[in-house]
Amino acid sequence: MLNIKDLHVTVGGEEIIKGLNLSVGAGEMHAIMGPNGSGKSTLGYALSGRDGYEVTSGSVQFDGRDLLELEIEQRAAAGLFLALQYPVEIPGVNNAYFLRAALNAQRKARGESEIDSMAFLKTVRAELAQLKMDEALLKRAVNEGFSGGEKKRNEIVQLAVLQPKLAILDETDSGLDIDALKLVAEGVNRLRDGQRSFIVITHYQRLLDYLKPDRVHVLSDGRIVESGDQGLAERLEREGYAFLEPGEA
Amino acid sequence: MTALIEKLLPETSGSGDGFDRLRRAARSVLLEHGLPHRKTENWRYTPLSVLEAREFSGTRSVASDEALPELPSSVEGVLHLHDGALDPARCHLPEGTVLTGLVPSDVDTDALERGGPNDAFAWLNLTALEQGWRLHIDRSLNAPLALVMSFSEDFAGIVHPRLVVELAAGARAELVQVEHGAGEGLINAVIDVRLGAGARLLHAIERTGGATAIIQRIRAVVGADAEYRAFVLDGGGVMTRQDLVVELTEAGARGEIRGSAVLSQRSLVDYHTAIHHRVGPSQSREDFRILADDRATGVFNGRILIVPGADYSRSEMHTGNLLLSDQARVNIKPELEIHAEEVSASHGATIGQLDDLARFYLRSRGLSDAEAIALLKYGFAAAAFEGLDEEDEPLAEWLRQRMSHYLGDRR
Repeated sequence: MLNIKDLHVTVGGEEIIKGLNLSVGAGEMHAIMGPNGSGKSTLGYALSGRDGYEVTSGSVQFDGRDLLELEIEQRAAAGLFLALQYPVEIPGVNNAYFLRAALNAQRKARGESEIDSMAFLKTVRAELAQLKMDEALLKRAVNEGFSGGEKKRNEIVQLAVLQPKLAILDETDSGLDIDALKLVAEGVNRLRDGQRSFIVITHYQRLLDYLKPDRVHVLSDGRIVESGDQGLAERLEREGYAFLEPGEA
Repeated sequence: MTALIEKLLPETSGSGDGFDRLRRAARSVLLEHGLPHRKTENWRYTPLSVLEAREFSGTRSVASDEALPELPSSVEGVLHLHDGALDPARCHLPEGTVLTGLVPSDVDTDALERGGPNDAFAWLNLTALEQGWRLHIDRSLNAPLALVMSFSEDFAGIVHPRLVVELAAGARAELVQVEHGAGEGLINAVIDVRLGAGARLLHAIERTGGATAIIQRIRAVVGADAEYRAFVLDGGGVMTRQDLVVELTEAGARGEIRGSAVLSQRSLVDYHTAIHHRVGPSQSREDFRILADDRATGVFNGRILIVPGADYSRSEMHTGNLLLSDQARVNIKPELEIHAEEVSASHGATIGQLDDLARFYLRSRGLSDAEAIALLKYGFAAAAFEGLDEEDEPLAEWLRQRMSHYLGDRR
C-alpha cells in the first residue's frame, strides 16, 4: 500500500526527516512513536502534501502511484487521509455541508457519482451515535466551539465517511480522557477491514493497548531507528526513549 | 461655496409646502459648515472624488413594471422607490401598516442645531425635502415587508428620499430593504426608525451600489424593552457610505448590528456605526465583517458610547476583516467610550488573510484549492449570521444565498 524510500523533508530551511524508510501493507496498522521533535507530524504533513514541507529527496509509492507527484486534493481522492493533531476550526462553514462537499469532490475526481444525501446523512448519524457525539454538531460550523475531544472525534467521523485506503492519525489520542480515548479507538477499530491501512502516530502506549497495531516503529531525529511489535511500545513505556542512545539503534 | 456643494444643492424653491423654513435652515447650516473632506475625522478614508467627477442630470424615470429584485419568498407587502421616488399607488401594504406623507414636525430639528461636516449629507437631504414618507406599523406583521430602492439604467440624478419607520408599542416586524444600484446618480437617503416600548424590528439591508453612489443615514431610536436589529449584506459599489446610529434610550432597550461587506473590483464601501447606551440596563451586540478583494477598500468605524448614568449596560463589538489581494484595503476603527458603572463592554478587531492551515485542511479532505478558498471566503462572511434563533433563519438563509451570489458561487 505505502512504500517510503529514503525520504528527506525540509521545513523552514531545516531538515527534519533524514532518510526515512517505511513499508505499510494493505490492511496493516503501524504505530510510530518518538520523542518531541523527531519528525512525527512532519511525516504526516509531508505525505499529505502540505506547503512548506519540502521533500528534497526520496520516493513514496502509494497504491501503485507516485504520491509526491499528486496535488493535496488528488492524494485525498487517491485514498489518503490525515487526522490532524489540532483539527482546524472553520467558522461559517456547516460541518455536514463540508463533509458532503469533500466526499463528493473525491468521488467526482474518481469518476464516481455524487453521494445520495439521504445515504450520506444516515452514515454520518450512525457514526456520530457510535462516537457518542450530539447530532447537533452536524449543524454547527466545522470544529467551532467543539471541545478538544469532540474535535478529535470529528476527525474520526470524517474518516468513517471518506473511507480512505490509508489513514494517518497524528496524535489523535493527545488531550483525550480515558472515555474519549476508548471511543476513538473503537471508532478506528470499526474501520479496520483487512484492506484499509493505518499509521498511528502517538506518544503513549495506552492507545496502542486498544488498537493492537501490527508493527511499532520508533522515529528519532528524522529516521526510524527501531521497529518491532507491540512489545517495543511496552518497553518504551517502561524505559523511555533513553535506550535508543547511539549504539542501541 | 465649493463646486461640489453647488453641484449637489437643489435649486432653491419656495413651494410654500410647510417645509420652506426647514429647507432654508438646512441650506444655511450646510453652507456654513461645508461638506466633509479628508481632514474630517469620520470621512478620512472616504473621499468624495466620485461625486466630484460626475455630471448629474435632473432626469428621472417612472417606475416601470420591470421585475422587482430578488426578495425572500415570504415577503408580503412592498414599498417601492424608483429613482428615489415613491408612488403610493404602486405600493402594496399589508394590514397593520399605514403610509402617510411626512409633515414638518416629523423632522428632527435637533440635528440642525448640532453637528458639523459629518452631518452635511443629512442636511443636504433636508434642503431638498419635498415629499417624505412615514410608515407606521401598528401591530405585529406576520410576514416581512420589503422596502425596495431600484434605479433605471440611465439614472443620473441626485435624489434625497426621506423615510420615517415607526413601530407602535409591542409591534414586531421584519423590514427587508433591498437596493441595487444602476445608472450613475446619487441617492442620499435619511431613514428614521422609532420603536415604541416592547417593539421589535429586524431590519435586513441587502445592497449593491453598482455605479450608483449611495449615501444613507439610518437613526434608530429604541424605547423601553424594545429591540432594533440590523442585518447588513453589502456586495460593493463605486461609493457607499452608511451611517447607522442606534440610540438605546430607555431601560431594557437592545440593539444589534450584524454585517458582511463582500467587496471586489474598485468598490469603496464605508460603514460608520454607532450604538449609544443612553440609559441602563441596555444591551448591544455587533459583528461586522469586511472581505476585500481586487482593489477594493472597506472602511468600518464601530462606536459604542455608554453615557454617565447608563449603569448595567452590556455591549459586545467585534469586527473581522479579510484581505484577499495585495491591493485590497481596510481601514477599521473600533471605538469604546464608557462613562458609566457596572458596565460590561468587550471589543475585538481582527485583520488578516486566508488561513493557510485551514486551506490545507479543506484540500486534504479532497476540495480543490479554488473550492477551498471559496468555502473559506463564504464561511468568513456567513459567520456574521451564525447563532441566530430558528425564527430568523429564513431571512438569514436568504442573505447567505445573496452572499454566495456576490462571492461568485452558484450554491
